[in-house]
Amino acid sequence: MAAARHHRSSQGLTSQHSLALEEPRAERQAVTAPVLKRLWFCIYLPHLPLEASGPGDEARVVVAEQQGIHRVLLASAKAESAGILPGQSANAALALLPMLRVEPRSEIAEQQALENLSCWLEQFTSVVCFAGPDVLLVEIAGSLRLYGGLLSLRQQIAAGLEQQGFSASLAIAPTPLAATWLAKGGRRACIREPVNLAAALRTLSLACLDWPDTVCESLIGMGVRNIGDCLRLPREGFARRFGPQRLIELDRALGRLPDPRTSWRAPERFCRDYEMTEEQSDRELLLAICRELLLSLERFLLTRQLGAQSVLFSFFHLHGPATQLRLGCAEAERLTDRWFDLLRIRFEKLTLPESVISVRLRGGRTQALRPESGRLRFQGRTAAQGLRFSMTQLAERLVARVGNQSVAGVTTFAEHRPQLAWRPQGLLSGKTGNAALIVRRGLQRPLWMLPEPALLRVDEGYPLHQGRLRILEGPERLETGWWDEDGIARDYYMAVNPHGMCLWVFRNRSRTASWYLHGFFG
Amino acid sequence: MRRDSSSLDKLLENPRVWRGHSQAHAAPGLTSGYEVLDRHLPGGGWPQSSLTEILVEHYGIGELRLLMPALAELSAEDSSQEYSEPGWIAWVAPPFQPYPPALQQWGINLSRMLIVRPKNDSEMLWSAEQALSSGTCAAVLLWPDVLDDQASRRLQLAAEKGNSWGIAFRPPAARTEPSAAALRIELQSSGEGTRLHILKSRGGRPAVLHDLL
Repeated sequence: MAAARHHRSSQGLTSQHSLALEEPRAERQAVTAPVLKRLWFCIYLPHLPLEASGPGDEARVVVAEQQGIHRVLLASAKAESAGILPGQSANAALALLPMLRVEPRSEIAEQQALENLSCWLEQFTSVVCFAGPDVLLVEIAGSLRLYGGLLSLRQQIAAGLEQQGFSASLAIAPTPLAATWLAKGGRRACIREPVNLAAALRTLSLACLDWPDTVCESLIGMGVRNIGDCLRLPREGFARRFGPQRLIELDRALGRLPDPRTSWRAPERFCRDYEMTEEQSDRELLLAICRELLLSLERFLLTRQLGAQSVLFSFFHLHGPATQLRLGCAEAERLTDRWFDLLRIRFEKLTLPESVISVRLRGGRTQALRPESGRLRFQGRTAAQGLRFSMTQLAERLVARVGNQSVAGVTTFAEHRPQLAWRPQGLLSGKTGNAALIVRRGLQRPLWMLPEPALLRVDEGYPLHQGRLRILEGPERLETGWWDEDGIARDYYMAVNPHGMCLWVFRNRSRTASWYLHGFFG
Repeated sequence: MRRDSSSLDKLLENPRVWRGHSQAHAAPGLTSGYEVLDRHLPGGGWPQSSLTEILVEHYGIGELRLLMPALAELSAEDSSQEYSEPGWIAWVAPPFQPYPPALQQWGINLSRMLIVRPKNDSEMLWSAEQALSSGTCAAVLLWPDVLDDQASRRLQLAAEKGNSWGIAFRPPAARTEPSAAALRIELQSSGEGTRLHILKSRGGRPAVLHDLL
């Protein structure tokens, strides 16, 4: 009993004086609605300037100008082992290691790298936030079940980052600020419950907080070295001395104040460049680069559940305009393999006027993918032998290589004029509306049709085609179409020549009764 | 007598003895619609999943009529097999326009027709190979200008892979060239009638048929 009373009184004491260890009473009462649980995954990329400028494990440094002197900002592992440290001047570093590659810092490249990473992260969650030049925040509470729990998700993200060549410090916490600070402090922390926040943050040094140097210095001067020390200070005094903003930050980190973040939205259209360090003309290499770009297009589309109907490759040259290659699909498509198949067919025939310095891929019009439920196929040709690709795929491949005009289906049309009784039909245009016209049984129609009737020579009144023709059947009179310009008045006959060829010939019913060949009964 | 036949059986069981007829039982063919022809083809019809060559001098002597019943069968919606889809019939580089109303008269399902007009011979062979190996086309008809041994082998392999029936139309001069086709037929016609000559038939025997069509 006594112990309990003592405990309660000590609690009351601390709540009067300290910032953090207990929540203010009023706020605790205010919480009545169920709190939406959030879990923030922070990705801190301390080596971003180095990693954004490209992969490679050789000795290199990124330098930035400080007061007129280029100083080393970051050094690769190999450079560091040669004794090069951040803060050295570029000249000093070069003196230590003449082979050193010195690169200026490119903030544009860093931003680009962050955006690419965000694109990639969008597959895990819909909330990706930028929190500073080298910090990404991802809200993952809603994704845990889909990705098999916290540890599995963390592993997937970590593996993906490593694969893309980024070394990151990761931390998970219920508030964005706490996650950021933990990641910057290098703690591989994973905190699920807000009540554990204070304990985890307590030992973090002030350097993780990104507070102005003056604030940190005066805090250190007071003997305050970590967040735990900060939290022990009285609230009012702390706010008065260091500004209310600092207090708000601490409250937000501990989850006492809401910390709304705006989520980053990727551009709706995919566009990505692949810059090469030197000109390339190796076609296999270029294809591999295109595949890389298509893979990122697939990721981009996957997060949006979209498919692209066309994509445009631009191959840039040092001199002269870019070579462009447009690919189209019948249906919206996102699978890399399908695009790559089409690309390979077209790329074979593409002539590049000179070597290529960079490749750009732009996604065209996008369209929501309608997932199709496949029919169960127990019998028939498709089930027995593995279907390599569907008709649409086959048609796409043929169109890509042979050309759109050269691949077609056919349909009949209710019309007496033989020339007009059928039409070609685009295969990729959609449904085949088959006019069910059946020519009357008695009528003979040839299996082969000439594009235009061919005039036949006549010998002693007999039409000739590799010999004299003998009429087998006829005439069948077709006199129609007077309402438009292509009216016909013809007598059609079935005839055979000495070679045994069966022909469909006609004679115009005009005064100049010449004979024409119109088809073969194949 | 009895003894003789048993010793003959013994001889035939010897694995070194190869009989031309034995392969005929392996794969049933697709009935051609012409009874006489079926009787002369191994498997009782057109060999499927392979390449057939038809040598013709002139168009219009019945080279298409010969195929029509079989093609109609292939493109028909088979109501007994509820889950099967009719195959497509691809025409690669036809010399003239296949006339849809006539095809329909023969019972061809027009919604399953695919006509490809490649610009040159290499595109033609490529298209035919793609169509054959896709597994979507039940039959692929092609009219190559030249078809060397290697190309015919490729088409034959593609047909096997895609379980498709390739039909190449070639001039009679090609009869002396080697070919990987499973079946080669020459069609000749004069004023008197049509003569069908089976030049090569894998698992079958050469034959000459008169007045088939």
